[in-house]
Amino acid sequence: MITWMKIAIRNIVKNRRRSLFTILAIAVGYAAVNVFGGFTEYIFKSLQDSFIYAQGNGHLTIFKKGFLTQGKLDPFQFMLSEAETELIRELCRKDPRVMVVTPQLMITGLISNGSVSTIFVGVGRVPSDLTFVRSRATGMIGRLKLYEGRNLVDEVPHGVGLSAGLAKKLDLDQGSEAIAMSPTIHGQINALDMQVFQVFHSPYEELDDKLLMAPLDFAQSLYDTTSADRITVLLTEDRSTLPMKEHFERIFVDAGLDVELMTWKDLSIFYVKVKDMFDIIFLFIFVIVFVIVVMSVVNTVSMAIMERTQEIGTLRALGLKRRGIVKLFAIESSVLGLIGSLVGIVFTFVGWGLVKVIEPSWIPPNIPYRVPLEVHLVPGYMAVSFVFLILLSVLSAILPARKAALKGIVDALGHV
Amino acid sequence: MPILSMRQIWKYYQLGETRIAALRGVDLDLEEGEFVAVWGPSGCGKSTLCNLMGMIDTPSSGELQFLGREGMSLTDDEKSELRNHSIGFVFQSFNLIPVLSALENVMLPLQIKGISSTIARKKAEESLEEMDLAEHIHHRPHKLSGGQQQRVAIARALVNDPMIVIADEPTANLDSENARRIIDLMRTMNGRKNTTFVFSTHDRRLLDRVKRQIHLQDGVIVEDRMLADEAS
Repeated sequence: MITWMKIAIRNIVKNRRRSLFTILAIAVGYAAVNVFGGFTEYIFKSLQDSFIYAQGNGHLTIFKKGFLTQGKLDPFQFMLSEAETELIRELCRKDPRVMVVTPQLMITGLISNGSVSTIFVGVGRVPSDLTFVRSRATGMIGRLKLYEGRNLVDEVPHGVGLSAGLAKKLDLDQGSEAIAMSPTIHGQINALDMQVFQVFHSPYEELDDKLLMAPLDFAQSLYDTTSADRITVLLTEDRSTLPMKEHFERIFVDAGLDVELMTWKDLSIFYVKVKDMFDIIFLFIFVIVFVIVVMSVVNTVSMAIMERTQEIGTLRALGLKRRGIVKLFAIESSVLGLIGSLVGIVFTFVGWGLVKVIEPSWIPPNIPYRVPLEVHLVPGYMAVSFVFLILLSVLSAILPARKAALKGIVDALGHV
Repeated sequence: MPILSMRQIWKYYQLGETRIAALRGVDLDLEEGEFVAVWGPSGCGKSTLCNLMGMIDTPSSGELQFLGREGMSLTDDEKSELRNHSIGFVFQSFNLIPVLSALENVMLPLQIKGISSTIARKKAEESLEEMDLAEHIHHRPHKLSGGQQQRVAIARALVNDPMIVIADEPTANLDSENARRIIDLMRTMNGRKNTTFVFSTHDRRLLDRVKRQIHLQDGVIVEDRMLADEAS
């Protein structure tokens, strides 16, 4: 084995220019896959954190069974009562992997500045819980300023937040007062005074002229209820989401609760769509890299075989079997793949470091201002592409090497 | 029992639409310890005969036995093993692996056989010393003269203690002085190890150093002379 490795390495060094191009092709391919993979990971993580933490939706959401299907027409039939909410909170809080269990209530109605009215879509949340959930965000999302103005607070139920578009539409600003109107769950019209504490940007552009965020007490007062339509659960770890969902489903059945649980992925359609799109782009880039690496290695090995046909004949005459010839070139291309991937790791770190130093920024979809562009280092991608590119290099060499091994010895010896 | 036995060996080559017979019904036996020259003009079939004897080519028809084994029925892997264990090769262009040193080149047949590097190194060093190349063992082929390269090739051919060494025109790329030295060296090894040597040549001046001359013409053995007494 050492001899074959020696032959491989010395031939790589001997044909250094050709080897260098192949190594660079592999390295650039490796870096392209991993830098882009690191960028997509940043996008996925940002979208995930945005949904879970910034928007305060948590990892799991508990609904009354049927809310998501029939509840759109008649949401009041599928509310979680105060007793149910309390029982769910009690059951969830027993688990140390749960950080926050907080009820929410979606509301809709009209908002008026005294002279003009427009519709709003709002959510009532416990402000202190929301503040805690948001404080758990890390990375770019953790650093984002999510609104202009003051925090919503539990003690001031009429202090609300409006999306920038809605505030502009009604000519409202921080400190302005307005009135929210909506039918209660009993069907009477209710109106409440409110004060704009904060103005935020909607995560969905099309809703920017409609969103309202209020303390849960405000939302419940408007609807004249003590119920909630969902309960948000924040976990200590993102990866516990699925096992915890299954765990709670069992616990809730045992407790006789008629509820259903959804994970953040189930509810974040935008995340799923963006992830699908980036996965396809990633695949596309991966295929391009795949083709470039295969072509480079096949070209290098074919050239080496052509130049060393007489050597192949000699080795065969000395008793090396056909598979030995294949092995020889497979080792050579695996060394190319190994060096290429190692250089690729260096390139990836250089790319990652450059992004860190330059700190570029961009305006991603659904965020109306510039945010830092990041590239994450993803050890999983790096390990898989490392092994994959070495294997690909070996496999790319096998076909031309097999062809060479099948050549007649006399013909090979006579090759000039 | 002869080491190698050929009966009615024919070998054809297809050149376009023409079929050319390189060997025409060759009958030949080679015994242990022989020192044989196959000679004749260019195109008479010397290399073809050497290739068949070395099991690197297959006859179109006829019977070829190596150590009693039917050559035609061996698989490619079996032939490879046979070549590695029992046949040594010396080529006209030396055919050393350019990226390996003289020592590493000589170690190759042993390593193909699966012998450990330590033992292979020791045997290769001994073999190179026998060729008077002890000072050049770490030199790459391009640092050696033609005569030295061919001596490395002979060391490589002998390192596995083969039954037979096939040398196809081993002196064709050497000057007359080196050519004579190479044939003398092979003759010495033949005497010392009792290894059978067969070499092809078109140089009649080298024929007085052999025990047996096989004169080939148009693919046919026209003369097979034993010269044991004269040569020794």
